[in-house]
Amino acid sequence: MDISESKDFLVHSGSLKEVRTFSRDVFDKLNLNKDLKDELVLAIAEAAQNIVKHAYKGVEDTKDHMQIKISMKDNQLEIGFYDKGKPVVSENIQHRKLDDIKPGGLGTYFIKQIMDDAVFKKDQQQWVNHLVLTKRL
Amino acid sequence: MSYKISEEGNVSTVFLNGEIDMDVTEKAKEVILPLVEAGKEVHLNLKDVSYMDSSGISVLIESHQKALESNTKVVVKEVSKSVLKVIMMAKLEQILNLE
Repeated sequence: MDISESKDFLVHSGSLKEVRTFSRDVFDKLNLNKDLKDELVLAIAEAAQNIVKHAYKGVEDTKDHMQIKISMKDNQLEIGFYDKGKPVVSENIQHRKLDDIKPGGLGTYFIKQIMDDAVFKKDQQQWVNHLVLTKRL
Repeated sequence: MSYKISEEGNVSTVFLNGEIDMDVTEKAKEVILPLVEAGKEVHLNLKDVSYMDSSGISVLIESHQKALESNTKVVVKEVSKSVLKVIMMAKLEQILNLE
């Protein structure tokens, strides 16, 4: 089944629950099994959290929105994240070493564990950052 | 997220409920860390936690590390399957005290 759905969310930690609800609703339509659905929802929520936490670091009470677009075509799942925060330097993104036990630094690691690929594209004029997560299902 | 605390001797059991994400981590820490810093043995019961992300994992790590500093311990109990998967993805099942 092919599908393409997108939704805008206020850039705020309080939106993360809505992000998960939106994602679960889309994955329900695709009849994904619960374990896979849980993993994909986690990856999406971590990427959205990174926008709130990092792209909008130091910005209080923004009225900006981020957009999340979930598409499935020919069993290739693609999830796009669009925001107008600080430009991300993808070379600077790295998760902490797992044996260096401390709070933080795991979100990107989870995304990499769950998805096949995560790429920041410079193809948008309307937005600042465009992250694309892909996974072959 | 909601919570309930029960006390028995030097053991405080915190029953967390709901989804633990970045939006509620401060609230979770405000509940758990003062108990740990007071030297209580803290049991975190997660049977009703349906979702936890990296922010929630950070709360577990911080609680565990504060407990070591305070010469006590945090025990994570009745972890739901979905949360256990996240703990295992972070390779923390041997680090945290899971029961």
